[in-house]
Amino acid sequence: MKRRELFVGTSGNTCVQGTRACGTADLIPNVALRTHDDVPVRFYDDLVKGRQVVINMMYANCEGLCPAVTSRMVEVHRALAPRMGRDLFMYSITLKPNEDDPAALRAFADMHGALLPGWKFLTGDAFDIDTLRFALFRHNHIKFDLDPNFHAGQLRIINDSINRWVHVTPLASKATVLQHISWADPPKSMEQRMQDNRALQDEIGREVAKYGYRKVI
Amino acid sequence: MQTKMFLRALALLTCLHAPALFGAESCEAEANWKASDTERHFVVLAGRTGVFYERSGPTFVMLMREAGDEVDLGAFGVHADANGHPAFGAVPASEYEVFLSDPAALGHTKSSAVMLRLEVSGPQYERVLRVLRTWERRVAERALLYPDFALDNILLVKQATEELNRCRQALVPYELDWGLDDAISEHNIALRIPFEYFRELKARNVARHVSDAAMPAQLRMATLTAQRDPQAPGTGKIK
Repeated sequence: MKRRELFVGTSGNTCVQGTRACGTADLIPNVALRTHDDVPVRFYDDLVKGRQVVINMMYANCEGLCPAVTSRMVEVHRALAPRMGRDLFMYSITLKPNEDDPAALRAFADMHGALLPGWKFLTGDAFDIDTLRFALFRHNHIKFDLDPNFHAGQLRIINDSINRWVHVTPLASKATVLQHISWADPPKSMEQRMQDNRALQDEIGREVAKYGYRKVI
Repeated sequence: MQTKMFLRALALLTCLHAPALFGAESCEAEANWKASDTERHFVVLAGRTGVFYERSGPTFVMLMREAGDEVDLGAFGVHADANGHPAFGAVPASEYEVFLSDPAALGHTKSSAVMLRLEVSGPQYERVLRVLRTWERRVAERALLYPDFALDNILLVKQATEELNRCRQALVPYELDWGLDDAISEHNIALRIPFEYFRELKARNVARHVSDAAMPAQLRMATLTAQRDPQAPGTGKIK
């Protein structure tokens, strides 16, 4: 009788509880992806490292949530146009890498007016996409995590330079999404904060003069 | 305002009813598959309790294939490492060989061990093997999906058992999804959930369980070899 072991158990391919080796090696996986322009990239090294980014998951033939989310992201892109591609970037990662090649993603982006500066649509190996999806969007709840659609309805905002992670639903108002993005903005200088405070005080002063109290909070 | 909310709800519903994203694989291979006397495939769902500090224990999926005088064996999931701590990965032969025989036949109590052995088709075997290979790659590349591998093991056993039912109902399922009706997930800690899941599947599929006597000769021989050496390290007597 010839006996063959299907899996080889060595310390290299076993995780022991309580050791760091068990968890994901990197908080943000550095997986290999391709952009809608068919350019190979490394997710962390090339797209996220040291940057402020807004990430969502979508797929090209999704007729419900994805267009709505993309449309909201286009609005957000317009509102933050001067920053886009300079200190703020957007990434849309496909949930269906086996169907969405770079050309399909480019067509989707074109159809939704999303071929904009600083915004990349990404595809890759299904294994890597799952790793990325769980690293960025998991809820530690089997039911929600196994439903990729659940992850399509979220925006993850990361500022890697200050290690700040923020989450918002793209179906919230544009103002709310913008506010959440601002929460991950780099810290302002003292001078900039004083300037902002003076501008805000002037605005409050104008309101009080007009209505007798501060109307807008 | 109401129209806006309605449209948002409609958009959500449309998307949530999109077809399953993963595993849209054809069932043609399974439909055309012909059983053979020279090649047989088995999937074993095995687990026991009372090994780790919180009374849970190794729980894993084992694969067995017999073709002529060749036997393929392997198991993947949570097991005890050399120090008796929970570990996730390829299960050492000494640990899975305990389940080459029915625990009940070896005199172990029903409450401390569970084993459901199913004879499956070649395509079913290949699909489960693919699930286990994916997890093997995740362990090797340190790309587990959760910080606690107890959750990864839940996903592993869920995916492996659901692959059996992809094209036809091979076993009566239990919906392990942490939903409102999932009592197992509601009442157990993560490390214990796969064991309780296997126990529930065994109860629902007891008629599908392949007894020791019904196993092919080659695999029975592997069983006998395993039984002959009860002192092998990690063989772990089941209480």
